[in-house]
Amino acid sequence: MLEIRNFVAGYSQVAVLHEVSLTVEAGQFVSVVGPNGAGKSTLFKGISGTVAPMGGEIRFLGEDLLKVPPSRRAHLGIAHVPEGRQVFASLSVLENLEMGARTPEGRRTWSRNLEQIFAWLPVLAQRRDQPAGTLSGGEQQMVAIGRGLASAPKLLMLDEPSMGLAPAVADFVFDKLMEIRRDTGLTLLLVEQRVAEALQFADRGYVLETGRVVLEGPCERLRADDRVRQAYLGM
Amino acid sequence: MSETQVLLESVLQAIVAGLFIGAIYGLMCVGLAMIFGIMRVINFAQGDFMMLGMYAAYFAFVGFGAQLFGTAAGSFVAALAAAPAMFAFGWAMHRLLIRRVTGTQSAGMEAEGHYAQLILTLGIALVLQNGAMILFGAHMVSIRTPLSSAAWFVGPFGDGMALFLNKARIVAAAVSVAVILALWLMIRRTGLGKSLRAAADNPEASVYMGIDVDRAHRTAFGLGTAITALAGGLLAANYPFHPFVGLEYVIIMYAGVVLGGIGSVLGAFWGGMTIGLVQQLSALVLPTQLQNATIFVFFLLIVILRPQGFFGRNVERV
Repeated sequence: MLEIRNFVAGYSQVAVLHEVSLTVEAGQFVSVVGPNGAGKSTLFKGISGTVAPMGGEIRFLGEDLLKVPPSRRAHLGIAHVPEGRQVFASLSVLENLEMGARTPEGRRTWSRNLEQIFAWLPVLAQRRDQPAGTLSGGEQQMVAIGRGLASAPKLLMLDEPSMGLAPAVADFVFDKLMEIRRDTGLTLLLVEQRVAEALQFADRGYVLETGRVVLEGPCERLRADDRVRQAYLGM
Repeated sequence: MSETQVLLESVLQAIVAGLFIGAIYGLMCVGLAMIFGIMRVINFAQGDFMMLGMYAAYFAFVGFGAQLFGTAAGSFVAALAAAPAMFAFGWAMHRLLIRRVTGTQSAGMEAEGHYAQLILTLGIALVLQNGAMILFGAHMVSIRTPLSSAAWFVGPFGDGMALFLNKARIVAAAVSVAVILALWLMIRRTGLGKSLRAAADNPEASVYMGIDVDRAHRTAFGLGTAITALAGGLLAANYPFHPFVGLEYVIIMYAGVVLGGIGSVLGAFWGGMTIGLVQQLSALVLPTQLQNATIFVFFLLIVILRPQGFFGRNVERV
């Protein structure tokens, strides 16, 4: 579904990602882990087009993604739940979800989708008319996830959904994501620093360090890898 | 009439005049609110966009408005006709110049591109002012309609008190209020309005929603330009103008937007309304030269007492 080959990207001519290759098959759950500053968010922004590419190629469902303008990429079926949530603070929760549903598929399935999103994340239904900026961090994360789901995506990209949340809240968010995946079989690409959880449920994992993929493979193999165990799992 | 009644009459008269002129100031401020309040673009040329709107309305009036619609209705038709032209002007300005220093382009710039915006828009202001002087000349121009000097009388009531309501200003105020209501509905209710607000709130996340942020900003800039220009065209039926008239109003606009609360379109309207009232009421006791000084004393008071403005968002920008 998503094929990234030798992708190079960065900020003002300084490359952050060096020749990164990554594949996500339809229906898979792929995790990307690695320390701060490894380029995980840059990889996501490269896919969504808010960071300028410097080389390599990205294909989504066979289409050359780097030729698609950034604001059109969501319409192809890519939902990006960005780092730090980035909800529309002055818009109500419902309006945030509406913004997600601007894609053709999102519009078509809106009313059914909304019901489903409220069923998964009932707190959004309770707060539907409240400005998203007044919500707690965990609730804002739900808004960001709900907004992504409202686009009826083929691929949901989640950038550190646990960031800045209390451990119990982060666990709750993670459980919700797993519930949604169980219910829908949605293809997921997750960036996470909570490595144990990220590698526990995913099919494939990539370890990104200083902009390079240093390790990749099925998650059970990564979990057993000595380097991963020492560096990320504290074992 | 007793002395208190004479005083009461002039206070009432000033309030009525303040409400009418305030509605037009409010419209003017709403135009800036779209650009400064919502998109956070510091636009020094807003007053000069208004000046262009006045000249555009003038030429539309002289060109066809007066012949087709008569001198009374013609001036308002001319002001309304100038608005789409000014939308196109603002749209083109953004396309060619402003977008280089705003939105996602400015992310890497110092102070998010605000310095660059100051210098660019100040430059645009100077070019427009001097360009207008070359093209239109330095003399005062006015749109004279029979309504400019016609009034409805209310009264006599009480003990011989009477108010007169200038007809041109009543119509201008009514048009202003109607335009603001339409704009407010557009922003709150329509998909376009919501995506404009989203693009203002968080440009990056808007891209992830499939919103063309650059185009949304361009639309907002065009709307802001057209609305302020329309206010200018309405004002032109009562006030003579010249190429440098923008300087007098740009300050009123910024004061109105800050008074109302940055980011609030309706707030900007009340901000402009407040300024109209303060200006007219202060004229009762102070010489006209001190009108603007009074506005700023009042402005400072409000900013000290309520820094977020009347309708300021207390919502943290995440």
